Parts: sequence; C-alpha cells; structure tokens
Amino acid sequence: MLNEFLLGVGIVTGLNAFLALLLVLAERTLSHYGPCTLTINDEKKLVVPGGRDLLSTLKSEGLFIPSACGGRGSCGLCKVTVLDGGDPLATEIPWLKPEEIARHVRLACQVRIKHDLRLQLPREWFAIRQFQATVVSIRDLTHDIKELRLRLVDPPEIEFQAGQFIQLEVPPYELTDEPVYRAYSISSPPSNRREIELEIRYVPNGLCTTWVHRHLNVGDPVTFNGPYGQFVLKPGNRPIIAIAGGSGMAPLKAIFLDMAEKGMARSVRYFFGARSRRDLFLVEEMKALETRIPGFQFIPALSSPLPEDRWEGETGLITDVAARHVPDASEAEAYLCGSSFLIKAAIAMLTERGMPRERIYFDDFG
Amino acid sequence: MKQSPDLQKIQEAMSPGRLTKTGFLGSDSRPLADILAEDEATVARLGLTHAAIAARMAYFREKGEAGLGLAVDVPPHFEVRVDGVRGRLPCPFAHPGLYPKIFCQVRNQKTGETVTYSDLQIHLIGDHGFYEGRGSPYRLEPETLVRVLEITPEE
Amino acid sequence: MNPFAAWFALFFAAVFTQNILLTNYLGMCPFLGASREIKTSFGLGAAVVFVMTFTTPLNWILYHRLLVPLGLEYLSLIVFICLIAAFTQLIEIVIERVSDALYASLGIFLPLITVNCAILGASLFMVARSYTFLQTTAYGFGGGLGWMLAILAMAGIRQRIAKNRLPRGLEGAGIALIIAGLMAMAFTGFTGITAPF
Repeated sequence: MLNEFLLGVGIVTGLNAFLALLLVLAERTLSHYGPCTLTINDEKKLVVPGGRDLLSTLKSEGLFIPSACGGRGSCGLCKVTVLDGGDPLATEIPWLKPEEIARHVRLACQVRIKHDLRLQLPREWFAIRQFQATVVSIRDLTHDIKELRLRLVDPPEIEFQAGQFIQLEVPPYELTDEPVYRAYSISSPPSNRREIELEIRYVPNGLCTTWVHRHLNVGDPVTFNGPYGQFVLKPGNRPIIAIAGGSGMAPLKAIFLDMAEKGMARSVRYFFGARSRRDLFLVEEMKALETRIPGFQFIPALSSPLPEDRWEGETGLITDVAARHVPDASEAEAYLCGSSFLIKAAIAMLTERGMPRERIYFDDFG
Repeated sequence: MKQSPDLQKIQEAMSPGRLTKTGFLGSDSRPLADILAEDEATVARLGLTHAAIAARMAYFREKGEAGLGLAVDVPPHFEVRVDGVRGRLPCPFAHPGLYPKIFCQVRNQKTGETVTYSDLQIHLIGDHGFYEGRGSPYRLEPETLVRVLEITPEE
Repeated sequence: MNPFAAWFALFFAAVFTQNILLTNYLGMCPFLGASREIKTSFGLGAAVVFVMTFTTPLNWILYHRLLVPLGLEYLSLIVFICLIAAFTQLIEIVIERVSDALYASLGIFLPLITVNCAILGASLFMVARSYTFLQTTAYGFGGGLGWMLAILAMAGIRQRIAKNRLPRGLEGAGIALIIAGLMAMAFTGFTGITAPF
C-alpha cells in the first residue's frame, strides 16, 4: 500500500521534474541570445544583451528613438533602418511604405535582437538624452494652462535650440502600468541650461495633463528625454510673421527670448489669438520684448471678448487679424504653432498673400 | 468567454492609463467582442449604419472648423464649436494612423442637448463600430447621437 | 482491410463522424469566443492540429510504456495534462526562436491551447478506446484537423452573418451556440459511415 503510494507520487514528481528540466534547458539555450553587437552608421559599435526589442535595448544604452506609444507598435514613429534584420513583421507592414521596406526600414519596437545587427540612425538622435529633474515651480498661466519649471539633476545641463521640444515621462500612477511619454515644447531660452520651462494645457481625460494638473507637486522628481524637433529659427534676415494660439505660445516664447538675449534685430510681428481675456497670458512679457528686440511687435487678439473683459485690442479670428496687418507676405517667413486647423487656416491665408509654402514653418507633433 | 488574442490585446490597450486617463471601457467588464456586438445590434435596430452616424459627426466637425475654436451656427438649428489641443493619439485597435486631439461640440438649439466628441471617436465609430464601454464618461450612446444630431436613415 | 486503409478510415472518422468538437462537444471555449474571423480561426486551428498531433502519441507512449507496466493507470489524467502543458510551452519557445513570423501567426495562440479540453480529451479517448500507436497517430492528427475544420466553418458562417440583424439577446454567444448545434446536426449525417474501431 505504501509502496504503491510512493511509486505513484514518485512517478508524477519524476516526470514533472524531467519536463521542468527540459523547459529550463530550452529557455536557457533557445531564449537567451547572448551578447549581440549593434553597428550603428558603420562606425559606432554597441554590445548589448540580445533577446529584447531594439527600441528598449537602445533606450537602456542611452540612445533614444522617438516613440509615442511606448513600444507597442501603434504609433509608427520608431522607424530605423536595419540592414540585416530580416523582413518586417505583419504588425509593421501597415506603417511602412513600399520604398521604406525596400530600404530595410523597420519599427524598432518590433525588431527582436537575436544576432548582430547593422543599423542606420539619423545623427540628431545621438544628441538625445534622458534627464532626471525636480519640479521647482508650478504656476497657473490661465484657467487651464500651467507653467512647469524643472531643475535638471542628472545630467545637470541641457543643450538645445529654441523651439525644440522634450518628451515628458508620465510615471505609473493610479491606473497606468507603464510609463508613457508626451511631447511639450521648451518655453525657456537655451541660455538657461540648468532649468527648463514647459507650458501644459489641461486636456479632458488627458493622461499627462491630468497628472501634471492634479498630482504633481513642487519637489517631485520628473524624467524626460530630448531635445527633439526642427521648429527653430531659420538664419537670415527676412521679416517674421508668427501666429499662435493657446499653448502654441511655448516654442515661440523660447525663440523670441533667445533672439532678445542674442541682441538680434529683426522685424517680427507675433499674432497671438485667444477666445477671451481669461485665455490670454504672458502679455506683459511679450510686450516687454518690443523694447528689447528692435522691430518686434506683439499683437494679441480675442475672438469673442466678454463685456467684462473691457478689451480694446484687436478682435476676431487670429488669422483674420493677421490678414488685416499683412496685405503682402511675399518677402516674409512664417512660424506657426497651434491646433491643426489654425495652422491650416494660417497657411491658406499666407499663401494667398504671396508667401511661398517652403517659407512657412510650423510645429507639428506628428 | 475567451476572445482571440488580437481582440484581447486591443481590449488591454483600452484600459485606463494606456492611451487616456480613464481608458475606453469605463466600468464595463464584458469582453470587447460583446460590447461591439450589442452596439451593432442597436444601430441596426435604428435602421442605420456606423458609417452613416460617423459621416454626420464628421459633417458637423467640418463645418465647425472654420470657427478656429469659436462657435459657428450650422443650419437648420445647430451650434458647433471645434477646438483642439496638441498631440495625437493612436487608435487602440492597433493599426496605422495618429488622430489629432480635436474636440467637436454640437448643440441642438431646438432640444437644447449637446454632444461632444473627438476625431478619434469619429474614427472609432465609423471604422470600428466602437462607442466605448458602458460607464466610460466619454461613451457615446448611439441613440443619443442619432437624436441630437438628427441622423435619419437614407432613402 | 490493409493497414493503410484502416489508418485512413480512422483518420476520416476522427475528422468527420467522430468530430471531437461537434460530436463530443470538447474544446467549445475558444470555439465560441475566438471564432469571429477566419484569419484568427486559422491560426488557432493550426495550433490545435499541431499540439494534438504530437501530444496524443506522446501520451500513448507515456501511458503504455510507463503507467501501465507500473500499474499506475489512475495517474493518467495528471500525467497527460502535465505533458500537454510542457509540450505547448516548449513549442512556444522553439517557434519564438526560429521564426518571428510564425510566432506571430501561430505562437500567440499556444497559451490558449493548453487549456483546451479537446487536447486532453483526445488523449483520454485514446486510452478508453485502446488504440494502438498507429491508430493514435491517425486519431490525433484527424481529431485536430476536425477541430480546425469546425472552427473554420464557424468563422466563415459568423463572418457571413456579421452584419445581419439578430433577435435581441442572441448576439454573440447565443447565435454561436445555435450555429454550433446546427453544424453538429449536419455532422450526425455522417454517422451512417462507420469505421472499424
């Protein structure tokens, strides 16, 4: 009786131990890919542990690739050229154009590192770093826009061009399980390397803005990476027409403050549109630039001022206001920042007034 | 009841904190497949299609754009305001395409009712038949949309 | 009857007349829940074919070469389940290593297969009907194919009626069960054809 019992238990235990051993062996040999060498642009070599996806592996090595979805394959931003990584997966095909597939473009988050790879990355990405910072101040600019000031801790300084943006990491809080990133323009000038300022407008049901507006406190640690973007001041001397609305102020503020600090003199007409007085902010700071930059003009406009606003400035849609001031735009260049239809309307208005499309620059967080 | 792994992944993408703060399912614990099936049936009972509802939503959105954030009157008796914030969202159904965060608010001046919806929601309804889960604060009831936007079956 | 014909007859029976899903009603869970699209059903069905084809003969070996000689037939349920689970996991690791594309189209369904009672059912029937090893191979392969056939047919039908108006309350599980019942009735038409076992 006891013998039977022991035999039964012994057989089941033995069998399970054998199967478990088999699985462990398989995992050790098949799932572990050992160190792999990534050769980037035929010059830089990185030895990384294999087995994970390219996006997160590069991130661990300090190389940041733009991504909005955190590596889930649903934003298509992490395109990288992988010369010997094999064919794209079914999850990548919808995001890649035929000529990109021919050039061996893949989505970094879908490429599993199983052996040595040769990659090609744009040079600008090497300048992107991850930063740890602390919240120094949170200030209300309007009823729904907060100004966030961050002091850099590690690394202690950041180099960027005015007009660029960073990706703010929203840590797991309440119900998120993984960090998510959202892009915000730096609104402080590049001369200040130890601190950056962001303008964050509250979005209903917004993942990041709810965190900033409801949960973030002075003294909290914050992580971000960057800098990104090509929305910067172009060299030259053309007169500038700038049109913005809402949190579109941020990159332009950085650009104009930078101009003032560098003592640049250029003809600038900055049209800023809001609905009523409670949506206007930083009016004094922008007006002050008129004395600091010869040729700078700040023209705020309200599209539906309330009687108690006692508004005496320009009224109407910002594009109409700009149109009134700029009958001929053929010699100028334009910098636009705001919602997509504001940009669309502004482009239409400017091209009608003679501005060539190539001289219209706008901030596009695609 | 089990769902296919694809739908399971999509359902996970809709949970709170992945794409938006409250997610797309609210307190609805049913499998996504069932949520879609029930709304499909409701829309069919109303004599309409998802595409027809989405088309009408898109119509007001187009008309409201001209206001650049300001309310616009759309005949016969609607007031539309379209505004946007920065950034784009991917669709939780995991296919290419990023949708700008543009919100359209339509007020039916005859009944006084208002509906608000985003560009992503127009796509979710028109292309996926997804109106969000019960208990989601942003769920658009097909009957409400039909009533407020006055969507009638095509002849 | 020559051995080849006997093998084929059993195989044919496993697919049609003794269809493990429509006749024995095993493996209903993924059948009802994941059969809305032909594409996913194909992946799921292929995974079931693969697992059932290999685990049933493996379980035969375990049963007849280990449990029976030691008089431990009563442990067959536990032993079969352990083998099926380990096998599925092992195959997932191998596929993930060998081919990303194959993993995406088949590998992701493997965890769903482990708890599919049709797989265990096939092994238990193999014991109950005292199949030889050769018969087991026919039964395992045929059973898997039969399951795949059933789920593909179900997916095809559901895709066809996806846009139809259904009576309130019958959407989803309701209509799926009705369709399954109708399919099972259709398959009983095959029972006139008997196989020697």
